Amino acid sequence: MEIDWGLFADLFGRTFTFWWVILPAILLGLIVGAIPGFSAANTIIILLPMTLAMEPEIGLIFMVALYASSRMGAGIPAILVNIPGTAGAAATPLDGYPMTKQGRAQQALAISFVSSVFGGLLTTILALMAMPWLSQVAYHLHSVEMIVIMLFGISLIATIAAKDTLKGLIAGFFGLMIGYIGADVVYETPRGTFGFLELYDKVPLIPALVGLFAVSEAFAVIEGESILTKRGMDAMQKAGWQETWEGVRLAISRWWHIIWTSIIGLVIGVVPGAGAAIASFVAYQQSKTFSKTPEKYGTGHLDGLVAPESANNGVTSGTLIPLLVIGVPGGATAAIMAVVLQYHGVTVGPDLFDSQPELAYGAFTAMAVTYAIMILTVLPLARYMSRITVVSTIYMAPIIISFTLVGSFVPRAYVFDMYLALAFGVIGYVARKTGYHVAAILIGVILGPLLENYFLRALRISQGDVMVIFSSSLGNVMWVMLIISLFVPMYLDRRRKAREQALPTTTDC
Amino acid sequence: MSDENGQDSGKPEKRAAGAELVLPIAGLLFTLYYFTTIINVPWTAQVSAFFVGNILIGLIIALIIRTAIQVRRGEATLSIAPLIAPKEYVPKRLALLGLTLGYVFFIQWGGFTVTTFFFLLCAMLLLSGGKKKGLILTLSLILSVGGYFLFIVAFNTRFPKGPVETMLQGVF
Repeated sequence: MEIDWGLFADLFGRTFTFWWVILPAILLGLIVGAIPGFSAANTIIILLPMTLAMEPEIGLIFMVALYASSRMGAGIPAILVNIPGTAGAAATPLDGYPMTKQGRAQQALAISFVSSVFGGLLTTILALMAMPWLSQVAYHLHSVEMIVIMLFGISLIATIAAKDTLKGLIAGFFGLMIGYIGADVVYETPRGTFGFLELYDKVPLIPALVGLFAVSEAFAVIEGESILTKRGMDAMQKAGWQETWEGVRLAISRWWHIIWTSIIGLVIGVVPGAGAAIASFVAYQQSKTFSKTPEKYGTGHLDGLVAPESANNGVTSGTLIPLLVIGVPGGATAAIMAVVLQYHGVTVGPDLFDSQPELAYGAFTAMAVTYAIMILTVLPLARYMSRITVVSTIYMAPIIISFTLVGSFVPRAYVFDMYLALAFGVIGYVARKTGYHVAAILIGVILGPLLENYFLRALRISQGDVMVIFSSSLGNVMWVMLIISLFVPMYLDRRRKAREQALPTTTDC
Repeated sequence: MSDENGQDSGKPEKRAAGAELVLPIAGLLFTLYYFTTIINVPWTAQVSAFFVGNILIGLIIALIIRTAIQVRRGEATLSIAPLIAPKEYVPKRLALLGLTLGYVFFIQWGGFTVTTFFFLLCAMLLLSGGKKKGLILTLSLILSVGGYFLFIVAFNTRFPKGPVETMLQGVF
């Protein structure tokens, strides 16, 4: 598959003329991305009558712009109030929220926007250049390799919660067990459902996200008048436009970090089903592993914010590759795009680049143009968005509880899901108070059903032989990498602590 | 470690490890319950859960042993104090939980707009200690009505519907 750069350049200019489609899609995407319970996929479904009525090219531009901007929107509440808009932004508050508490919300938002835009823009271009090779990634990953990838996701949690690896692993595996609730895929046998019919179809993710992050946070923040520290409040009151520009400068100075963490997102995005949640945690963990100051992660470290934001926007372009090149959607939103295109008689797959190159390349140009327009529209808003952090918790906590709980009702329209979110809120509250990471539990809940599916598939292929999980060369290499990723950070941490302990003694001498 | 006068008392503070065991014990109980629901089912429904569940049980046992050693050495206690600290917020937190349960319970009949209005009003008054009544009333009204127009009218979102939403359906 040869890339027609001339056509790509023409399309780039032409896509700019559709700014009137892109701009509303960006605004809508930022809103739906920022509200837990909404997602780009849901919104595209709601707006399906509109996108189906559009010309295929315009419809595609609208969907891609909405998709890319919703990814960025999800990071906004994650930074400001410690509530990720979607699971893909679950790693963003790890360092974004501590920055907010220090009164650096405006700076954090600017860093997030710049990282998202440059990460997304870069991976869009890279996706175009490396499309023929990247599309092959999915072919090499079978059930066994996917099991290791899922376990790799869980092992990351242990290293992210580096203060206590054991507690990190317990939280992650507890989440996996929760993710196993529901009927099994082969015989539909209900398992661990407590008799609730609503849980037969697995634990829905939105109530888990809302409860673990939003409800538990709301019950925790009422201990103070504001989510900000006293120093943070002073800093916020003095903050002006220079905070935004400082954020932009800080993000640009980390250009190399943006590049390699967004590439992680791109590669993981190519794997169907892996998604932004895994990508952002992988990027965060890798960033921490190779950092000279890993102990500062979790306290408002800039690299800890840049990494997940670049990576989850890298995923956005990555998910389009399997859709356009081999016809396999990389995620829910990509799947809906495929449905809309098929309605218009467009069959996605390798032939699309020959039969309708303006659509195949158009998806990527739309993404690139969206990112370019997005930085201009969203950056000036950082100052005003950050003001939300000075709102008293008296008002903020009830607003968070009511609107996010109702958000958990939206996907399935079950009141049960609101109770479920409340139950997750209690789990999240206990986790926060006792030093367990709520993100670790959430990742477990996300990965549980995926892990089980791949496990079953591998066992059925091997006719029940458990050793199948060590039967693939690529899988075995990944097992070794998994063990290394689990133990190397622990070793480096111990070495650093030993060095720190040795330092005063040396000085004394 | 500093005392009230800011002087070092010299005694290292003991970690309240009892609170840290609450979640693992809940996890352990849930895993055992889960196992009881899969004992008599085909292996395909068992195998993955037994794999993950046994790892979780192993990790929890390791944590319990570690805690027991720390308690024996005098480095930790079995206190669950961090769960309820600071104690002065316990009544407010429990009242807010009660209000939230009421909100979820009544929303299926009252619908989004009315129930959200009353929840916001009561919860904000509770947290403010009954101060700023006018502001809270206005804010609750704006947020619930604004939420109705944004989510139900503009986005046509599946929010819980009650008498108000049904009545206004013909208008908007």
